[in-house]
Amino acid sequence: MEVPQASSLPTGIPRRLARRPYVAAALLQWRNTYQLRRARVLTVAALALTLLVGLLAAPPTGPMLEWLAGNPVITFALSAGLFGLSAVRRQARIQADAVSSWLSALPATSSSLLRLASRTAAQFLAAAVFVGLAAAVGRMTAPAASRLVLITAIGTVAGTLGGLRLVGRSATGSPGWHYAGVRRARRNWASAPSLAPLSYWPLAKGRFFGRPKMTSRVVLLVLLSIPAGLHDVPGQVAIAVAAGCMTLVTLLALSAAAVATAGQAARWLAPTPIRSWTFVSAFVWRVALKQAAVLTVVILLACAVGYSQVLRTGVKAAVAFLAASCFTAAAACLWAAHQTGLGAARRGFERRKT
Amino acid sequence: MTEPVQNGDQRSPVLQVVSLHAGYDKLIVLSGVDLELSRGEWLALLGPNASGKTTLLHCIAGMLVPSAGSISICGCSLRQDALGAKGQLGFGCAPERLPGLLTGRQCLEVYAAAKGLGTPDAGVLELAEAFAFTAMLDRFVGSYSLGTRQKLAVLLALLGEPALVVLDEAFNGLDPASALVLKRHLRERVTAGRCGVLLATHALDVVERYSDRAVLLLEGRIARQWGREQLAALRAMPGEGLEAALAAASAPSQSQ
Repeated sequence: MEVPQASSLPTGIPRRLARRPYVAAALLQWRNTYQLRRARVLTVAALALTLLVGLLAAPPTGPMLEWLAGNPVITFALSAGLFGLSAVRRQARIQADAVSSWLSALPATSSSLLRLASRTAAQFLAAAVFVGLAAAVGRMTAPAASRLVLITAIGTVAGTLGGLRLVGRSATGSPGWHYAGVRRARRNWASAPSLAPLSYWPLAKGRFFGRPKMTSRVVLLVLLSIPAGLHDVPGQVAIAVAAGCMTLVTLLALSAAAVATAGQAARWLAPTPIRSWTFVSAFVWRVALKQAAVLTVVILLACAVGYSQVLRTGVKAAVAFLAASCFTAAAACLWAAHQTGLGAARRGFERRKT
Repeated sequence: MTEPVQNGDQRSPVLQVVSLHAGYDKLIVLSGVDLELSRGEWLALLGPNASGKTTLLHCIAGMLVPSAGSISICGCSLRQDALGAKGQLGFGCAPERLPGLLTGRQCLEVYAAAKGLGTPDAGVLELAEAFAFTAMLDRFVGSYSLGTRQKLAVLLALLGEPALVVLDEAFNGLDPASALVLKRHLRERVTAGRCGVLLATHALDVVERYSDRAVLLLEGRIARQWGREQLAALRAMPGEGLEAALAAASAPSQSQ
């Protein structure tokens, strides 16, 4: 196996960063990542650039930016919400770092404000550059672009400050373990072990991903973007949208959880002689079952409250979603199995018949 | 074992833990721990799994805020003067927490810079050489084995001549030769009165042969202490020695 070497890397910590070990370590890691995986970094940068050009060239971009510039309240709410969320997440990570980082015991500050501000500034700068480019290529007028950047800047500051206050009030980072249900050990598990408990892993992770704290933030963002009561949008539509949004978050959280945990599960089981497809089916079936149950309840509820025309479309959409979800989860499991060598061991593994 | 050097700082405590209570959410892990460690002293912290050893060390390193009680390092309160207290501390972080995308040398440099040193001190680099770690310095930590990571964690803890060295299971994963080098190095530092060492460990040979004192932590309280003479007596005993004493001391707690 090739051992990565870094002897060509320049060493030494700039004097300004000497007392800011978190910042120094982060910068060194960025530099090392670039040196070690230059091709990958450049590919990602090229993809981002292509996406940027594609977005600028897309016909709806100009009118949408103009509309945002013309609706300061909505733009402010959106930017404040997004930057507030970003601040909350960043601050929670910084607080977790203070407890568990390799640098925690050092006689130096955690530079939390600098780390938070630099990320927020980078995000705002990216948004401002995008708007500026849109104005430069004639997708929107210069006054509208300046107005949009100004409103976004105000939203950024307000959202970041609000996000920091939210973190200050609540307890620090909620541990995820209490989202995993405690299961009773069954009698025959010792004598007849099965892979059935494996299917609870993505389920628990999905519960963690779709926890009320996260779901409420997403719903809040969606509700803020609905101008309820202003443009003939009745309140019940907003409530229905919120409910739909919560359901969607639950379903997507389950799919994301299956993808996110597949690698860990495959690594854990790699030394065992389990076949790849056995792993896939044991891992994915309960997620699929739960998603099917949620979708069935939603369709039945929609029919019960009088949206009978939803039935056919709903069933089609549900089947399509389930198929896509199963395919994604299975692909993630197979990829993880391939990467970790799960299932490959069986080819060279001869079972002894006793 | 040589006698410690008697110098002016010898009796001053480098660590004072008074009536410490700590835990995680509603789980109480430490309840009323009192501990004192002087310069030129090696204190071993013993206890079964989940007895609160790592929690105690994390409180001392300022990584966990205790619910009650106080911790002072070289007279600096960890609560009121955290930076001053941490300036005297060398804490061996968990090897799995080391950053995979930095090289060993870069890790040492980040630590050295944070401790106000221009470069990693010569003593630590000599220890790295004795560990046969020098060849690994310019490789990424992500490619290190557990033992190599452990060596780096120990080197980081010893940077900057700290008055208090706190290590958690520092011999885990070390090969016998490196473990011996580390034991001798720590003993040398302690004997010269350069620091006090607090080591949480299950390696009883280290406790018997190298420690000056040992304390047993059971269910978040200090249940038993052994002084230098008692440890020497246990070492001289034929058979199980400290192992049997430890099992006897832990027995009531284990049976509950």
